[in-house]
Parts: sequence; C-alpha cells; structure tokens
Amino acid sequence: MKSRSRLLQMVGLLGFIFLYAPILSLVIYSFNESKLVTVWGGFSTRWYGELFRDPQILGAAWISVKIAFLSASIAIVIGTLASFVLIRFARFRAKSLLSMLITAPLVMPEVIIGLSLLLLFVAMEGVIGWPGGRGLVTIIIAHSTFGAAYAAVVIQSRLVDMDLSIEEAAQDLGAKPVRVFFDITLPVIAPALVSAWLLAFTLSLDDLVIASFVSGPGASTLPMVIFSKVRLGVSPDVNALATIIIGLVSLGVIVAALQMNRSKRQSEQR
Amino acid sequence: MSDGRPESDDKPWTDPDAVPFLQVKNLTKRFGAFTAVDSVSLDVYKGEIFCLLGGSGCGKSTLLRLLSGFEEATAGQIIIDGQDQEGVPPYARETNMMFQSYALFPHMSVEKNIAYGLKRDGLPKAEIATRVTDMLSLVQMDGFATRKPHQLSGGQKQRVALARSLIKKPKLLLLDEPLGALDKKLREETQFELITIQESLGVTFVVVTHDQEEAMTLSSRIGVMNAGQIVQVGTPHEIYEYPQSRFVADFIGSVNLFEGRITADHEDHVIISSPESGTDIFVPHGISGVEGQQVALAVRPEKLQISKSPLENLRNTMKGTIEEIAYMGNESVFQVLLDSGKQVRISQSNRMRTTDHTLTWDDQVYIGWNDDASVVLSS
Repeated sequence: MKSRSRLLQMVGLLGFIFLYAPILSLVIYSFNESKLVTVWGGFSTRWYGELFRDPQILGAAWISVKIAFLSASIAIVIGTLASFVLIRFARFRAKSLLSMLITAPLVMPEVIIGLSLLLLFVAMEGVIGWPGGRGLVTIIIAHSTFGAAYAAVVIQSRLVDMDLSIEEAAQDLGAKPVRVFFDITLPVIAPALVSAWLLAFTLSLDDLVIASFVSGPGASTLPMVIFSKVRLGVSPDVNALATIIIGLVSLGVIVAALQMNRSKRQSEQR
Repeated sequence: MSDGRPESDDKPWTDPDAVPFLQVKNLTKRFGAFTAVDSVSLDVYKGEIFCLLGGSGCGKSTLLRLLSGFEEATAGQIIIDGQDQEGVPPYARETNMMFQSYALFPHMSVEKNIAYGLKRDGLPKAEIATRVTDMLSLVQMDGFATRKPHQLSGGQKQRVALARSLIKKPKLLLLDEPLGALDKKLREETQFELITIQESLGVTFVVVTHDQEEAMTLSSRIGVMNAGQIVQVGTPHEIYEYPQSRFVADFIGSVNLFEGRITADHEDHVIISSPESGTDIFVPHGISGVEGQQVALAVRPEKLQISKSPLENLRNTMKGTIEEIAYMGNESVFQVLLDSGKQVRISQSNRMRTTDHTLTWDDQVYIGWNDDASVVLSS
C-alpha cells in the first residue's frame, strides 16, 4: 500500500514538473543579469527596469488592458442575456441548437474565428462603412464574441442552480419581471458574473491569434508585441514581461476560482 | 367582525346566502396531454383556513399556482372577492404565497426580505419600517431583523417567509406545504401559532399539504384531491367520520374496508353480506343504494373493540387470531387475522400503564364494533 502511494506521488510530481518546469525556468531567467538568454550571469532585476522604460511595451500593455476591460464587460452582458434566455425560457424550440451555437467558439480553432471575423469586418466596411478600418474597436468586438461564449458557460451553471421560486416570490410580492431580474436574479448570480468577467478579461489579455487577424495599425496588443520581439530573437526583457503576465493571469484565475467556490458554498448552505 | 372571524356564523359554508370569497369554477389545467387540474370547482369563504389535501402529483400544487397566477388556466374561472382573475399577472394579484422552500432572498436581510413587498408598492419608508417591526414581533422574530437567511434555522426561516407573505395584507394567502420542512415537534407548535396568527389578521388561507394530520389541525375545511379532481370537501370531522369514497376513507387515517353486497335494503337498516368478513353486517340506517349493489364498509381501527371473550352486546362481531402487536406508546395497534382470512387493524389507547398485556400474539380474540361506527361507501 505504501509503495503504491509513493509511486502515485512520483507520477504526480513528474506531471507537475512537466507542466511547470518551462514556466519556472522562464521566471528564473527573467532575473538573469546576462543579456544572453541562455547564460546565467547572476541575479538582477535589471530587465524589469528596462521593461518599464520601454514605451512600445508599456503602450501595448495599456492597449491590451483597455481591450480586455471593455471586451470582458461586453462579454458578460451578452453572456448573461444568452444564458438567461437559454435557462429560463426552457420551452422554446431552438434551445439545444442555440446552446450548442453559443459554446461553439470554445472549440472552434482560433485561426478560423479570426479569419471569419476579419472577413466580416471587411465586408461590413464595404456595405455600411463601419467599422472604419481595423484597430481597437475590431479587437474589442472580436474578444467580446468569444469572451461571451465562455461567460455564458459560467453564468449558465449558476443560473441552473438558482432556486426559481425566489424569483417567483419577488413577482408574487409585486415586482414586475424586469424588476425581479435586477432585484433578485442579478445579485444572486453576481459571483458568477465576477468570475465570468475575470475569465473573459484573462482570455482577452492572452489572445494573440484572433487579435492578429482583426488588428490594424496602432493597435498592437501586448501578446502581438511580444511575439514580434521574439521573432527577432529572444531578449531578456520579454522574460521579465512574461513573468509579470504569468503572475497577473494566475492571480486572476485564483480569484475567479475562489469566487466560484465561495458562491457554491453559499448556495449549499441555503 | 371584530376578531376577523364572522361572529354570526362560524360555518359560512352552511349558509346558502353567504357569498364565497374565493370562487373556483370548472378550473382545468393541462400540460400537453396531462391534465393536472381537472374541472375543479370550489368555494372558500372569508376567514377560512382551507386545506387542499392529496398525495404527490394530485394537482394540489398546480391549483395553488393557478390561484397565485404563476400558471394560466386552460379553462375555467377564478374569482377572488368578486374579481375575475383571468389575465391578472402574479405581481398584480392581491394574493400572496408562502413557498414550500420559503424562497427567502438570500442576499437580503430578514428585515429587507419582509419589507420587499411594501417597497414595491412604493410605501413611505417610515410606514414600511413600522409595519416590518410589527410583523417581526407578530412572528416572534424581533431580534433577527439584520440576520441573513443562511444564518437562520428552518423554523426561523419559516417565520420570516410567513411574515413576508403576510405583510401586504393579502386578500388570500396561499401556503404551499407551510410546515413540510420542519421536524415533528416544531411542526406541532407552529401549527397552532399559524392558526393564532390567521385568526388575529383575518386573512383567508388556502393551504396545500400532503400531511393529513396538518390538514386536520389547521383547517376549517379540507378539500381532498385525487388525480386532479376534488373528491370531497368537508370539515375535518366530516372528512374523517363520513368519508364519501374508498379513496378518502383510505387516504385520511387508516381504515378497515369490508367489501360486500347489499342483501337487504330497509328504511331503517341495511344488511350487507360480506364473504370477506365471514358474516352479514348490520348497518343501522338506510342508504341510497339498491339491493345487490357492491359496496364497501369502512370501520376505523380505533372504533373496533377487541376482547378474549365474546362481545355479546355488539351485533357485528367476528373471530380471529392476533398476528401482530405494535406498541406505539399512546396506543397499541393489533393486527388480527379473521377466521375468514381477512386482516383487520385495531387500535386501543393505552390508558393505563399495565393494561393490554393480557392480549398477546396468537391469542384467539373476538372483534366487533358499535352499530353506528361504520360507514358504507358505494364509490
């Protein structure tokens, strides 16, 4: 029994090493003094300093945050509406088709999403003259669409768990359906909204492929800048940047997970 | 009407001139091919506690949801205080509902939960505050105003739910299994409190329950439901002592049913030949039946007598053997196998600590009942 559990531990450890060794080495090398990425020249935070003096990277980071913020916000609105319709109006016919369609972007190759969005934007510009060229707006629209798919999945799971009778109770006490939605439904699903927002935000921050398709001049996101820098050779400040991003993303994921857990515990208590 | 109950007449349903407060006329609700509520007609009078009693899936909850407006009737009419409720959405109806799950708003404090209905009506803040305070003391939850629902026990949640549904002074309060989630002891206490509160406010209650004991203690009248229909309406006493069908007799309390055939039909008595019981049964009153008709005779276990010696003062007696004895504390239940092969249950209250030990397993016993203890059921 004991040897078996030791074996299990070994396998688990190997798995974690496999997953996290590359990231760990990147984090370690971000503190490398040497300009050569593969040679250890002693500990230093030099590249972090360099990073914060690079206007190109700072600009791209700011653009990325703006895009992520706006697209995540749009995504949870669309996601909430979609999941509300899917869960609450259970009787309408196209339900299963629609719920499949909303989750399709989760499994669709990003290249295809990016390409199709690009074609759509070009066509729209030709027909209705909007959006004028590609840039910030088109990336936000693109990120909102796939963010909404993820948001819908998260919010749906919360809505399914929600006790319908509390909405009925509010109606019974004189609240019209719209009022019920804002007074009762929204506050109850709020934890799911927060985690959906964080998820969409993180996804938008990470995205390279779709952004590359629908971006235009002057709207390079952070991943795009990193990618173009790396193509010219890996520079140590990219390591530093990647470390910061890893930190932020894991923070986001942890907060989202904690949120979900807490709301789950609360609903179990009821 | 000083204390909410009509003083002149405690039983408005016996008064042909009384106007029902709630009238349900031929109400039908179908879900696809399934008929949940089947042409139900019902009159409930002001100040009543009316219980809809039935097993799960009998349509009682659907009927309640039709009254509250959460379901739309397929056919029929609901009239509350003279107003037809057709097309009136739940938020505009002057009914309030207490949900089985209590349905308290989890993100609001007790106080805010109770105030919600008044807030939606746009009442001034000061008035809301006083009414909430009054309501909290009525349900004895004074110290709990700022608690959240998940900090309350089941019984406390039940009180908050009741307070919330009463605060708008509804014309009709609909209660869905109001005590279902409470344990037995708490349920008994709460039953009487519920009656006290109802009497002090004079609100008409319609209660849905599957618990016959709850229905018996709470209600002024009971409507027994089966398969979407109301099979009998009456006071708890009427329902228990004079059931009109095998279903009602069997559903409310336990009962011994003797199947038989009317062999002699006289003005003042009837003889029923029942091969099941092995004898002819004498019924001391005429019934609206014909000779040869198949009927069932219902006798409640507590109305049966049991003895080792022949019960000579009784007309209807049978012989048998004690198969089982269940000691329940307040009473003992005997299962007797009659010589005819039928099993009969008899209950005797344990008035003294030492009685009944004379009767034991495999004893030969005589059972019997007073002439008027039986009810003849033709349906």
